[in-house]
Amino acid sequence: MKALVATVISLALTTVVIGNAYYQKKQFYPSIVYLTNSNPSMAVMYLQAFILVLLIGKLLRKIFFGQLRPAEFEHLIERSWYAITETCLAFTVFRDDFNPKFIALFTLLLFLKAFHWLAEDRVDYMERSPVIGWLFHVRILSLLMLLSHADFYFIHHAYQFTISKGPSVQLVFGFEYSILIIMIVNILIKYVLHAIDSRWEAPWESKTAVLLYTELAINFLKVLLYIGFVAVMVRIYTLPLFAFRPMYETMRSFKKAYNDVVLSRRAIRNMNTLYPDATPAELAAADNECIICREEMHSGAKKLPCNHIFHAACLRLWFQRQQTCPTCRLNVLRAPAPEQPHAPPNVPHGNAPPGNVPHGNAPPGNVPPGNVPHGNAPVPPPAANIVPPPFPNMPPPPMMAWGMPPPPPRPASLANLSTAELQRMEGHERRNIEARLQLLREIQAMLDASVLLMQQYSTVVANLPQNSANVATQTEIFRTEPSPEPSPVKVKTEPDVVPTTSNYKQPAATPSTSTATVTEDFEDVSSSETTNLNVKREKTDADAEELRRRRLQKFTMEK
Amino acid sequence: MAGSALRRLMAEYKQLTLNPPEGIIAGPINEENFFEWEALITGPEGTCFEGGIFPAKLLFPPDYPLSPPKMQFICEMFHPNIYSDGRVCISILHAPGDDPMGYESSAERWSPVQSVEKILLSVVSMLAEPNDESGANVDAAKMWREDREQFNKIAEKLVRKTLGLPSP
Repeated sequence: MKALVATVISLALTTVVIGNAYYQKKQFYPSIVYLTNSNPSMAVMYLQAFILVLLIGKLLRKIFFGQLRPAEFEHLIERSWYAITETCLAFTVFRDDFNPKFIALFTLLLFLKAFHWLAEDRVDYMERSPVIGWLFHVRILSLLMLLSHADFYFIHHAYQFTISKGPSVQLVFGFEYSILIIMIVNILIKYVLHAIDSRWEAPWESKTAVLLYTELAINFLKVLLYIGFVAVMVRIYTLPLFAFRPMYETMRSFKKAYNDVVLSRRAIRNMNTLYPDATPAELAAADNECIICREEMHSGAKKLPCNHIFHAACLRLWFQRQQTCPTCRLNVLRAPAPEQPHAPPNVPHGNAPPGNVPHGNAPPGNVPPGNVPHGNAPVPPPAANIVPPPFPNMPPPPMMAWGMPPPPPRPASLANLSTAELQRMEGHERRNIEARLQLLREIQAMLDASVLLMQQYSTVVANLPQNSANVATQTEIFRTEPSPEPSPVKVKTEPDVVPTTSNYKQPAATPSTSTATVTEDFEDVSSSETTNLNVKREKTDADAEELRRRRLQKFTMEK
Repeated sequence: MAGSALRRLMAEYKQLTLNPPEGIIAGPINEENFFEWEALITGPEGTCFEGGIFPAKLLFPPDYPLSPPKMQFICEMFHPNIYSDGRVCISILHAPGDDPMGYESSAERWSPVQSVEKILLSVVSMLAEPNDESGANVDAAKMWREDREQFNKIAEKLVRKTLGLPSP
């Protein structure tokens, strides 16, 4: 309403002024000359121009934004006042070339700035708006395109002008429009991120991280620009007072962005190293709702030392602000790390996949190794199923002495390492594991061979009392027993092998199987004593012979 | 997927609509903007505010629930813990960093576990039992301590006002 009144009044005034001039001079040129020479008339004309600019602004706003929200409007007014004050300060520096064209350029700058601010606010609002229609996308995209073209044009113009005519007020414009173009880039990145996010059904957890780093980079660029601008201005003119407030604000927001990144990284590191993933059982025991976002937890949930469970992503955001448990306010940094009762003491020598080292409580089977949030590349755990973890009461593996170089000592926390270091370590570990696998295969073959030997011995021992009666068979056995060639070889290698086997296989599986077969053999033999001894014995002998031959063949082949 | 703040506010709105706590109604003023809510709180029974229906506005920050919302009564209030412009001063509405009164322990501050429902319930209990230690409204705190009768009279007048009744 007020605007309408102002428009009508200024329009009436302009008409009166022009009409008056034409009435007095009757001709076009004299009336123009009269108008430009009369200060009151010029004032009215300027007022009219100002009102026109406002009207165009309103029209453009209607086209690109529709109705402004109250918060947006407030924000716009507040920023406009600052900008106007700074513009007045800038006038003082360039009072020599102060003329209407100069004012027009500054007005245009303000005008474009206002649209940049509005676009920024609108894109920020995207994340909070429940419905975003196609009209919104069309408006924002076309506006961004238009603004970036305008910015580019003015930067180019300022550059050409400065190159051809030396430094002038165009320096300020070039600099201001460069800041604006950076702003456009920032808005565009945010827009793309929000747009992608709104298309996805699931929450996009790394979006916050991307936004954080974008903020940091953009602010860094701005700070560089400001510093460069101030330096140039000080050299050519004087201290640019008008640039100080925005420069201070940019530096502050750069510092804040930097702090955010640091805090976020620390939170991520703490979460990866200190807190175990919640198991499905624990999730089911709690009511499965993350109290921070009030949504269900399926995966990627973390358990704090106080046993409260949250989404890892939600927790990370909270930890950026405060290092306490949201539920019970336990200070998680001061709290002791969760105990690791099941973690074998010699994990650092390690066969357990590095990805699982941080969360000791979680059974490796249940935890998908992939949910270590970004940052530290999870090392694929190839060894998990093949090599059983060492036994808690075992002495450190003596095989380090002979088999291969001992693995490098593992640093205390994997999360402290950079990705490159992890990758390097991964390559190292891989070689070690491959070597170990190879070794284990050999050990398996040797064990098979020794089991066979044991079988033979047992048959011989079992048959001994009978053999005393039956000389023929006894001699036969004595003849057959030492005959196989490889057995001495086997005996030779065995002392070397035994210590190694004791570390890996022996306590778990092989000894039991071997004793089982031995006792079986004994039973076989003792039962065979009552039945047809000779036939049975010959049969087992033949079987054993065959088996032994095959195993040894395999062994030499693998060797 | 919309932002997490929006989703959480929608979830809370749904929860409050499905099982509203007694004496409290709350929801977004306009369903296109979930970051501004209006709440109606009935004065707790057996107190000087009994029977009144007090409208209030809740403003949520973009990073809700990591930061607390702001709450402001939009009717006239006279209470030790409510500023004269209607802003509510209770500890769970304060982020652990800031402490306007300098006496709150961080244990009673805002955390994402709190919710609109809990805030409104705290406000109801604040209406019932003012904390005269924190003087958001010093006059009200003083009157509450020294001249309870006068306080009750003013409260009753406010109650009648909220109901649109002429004062006696």
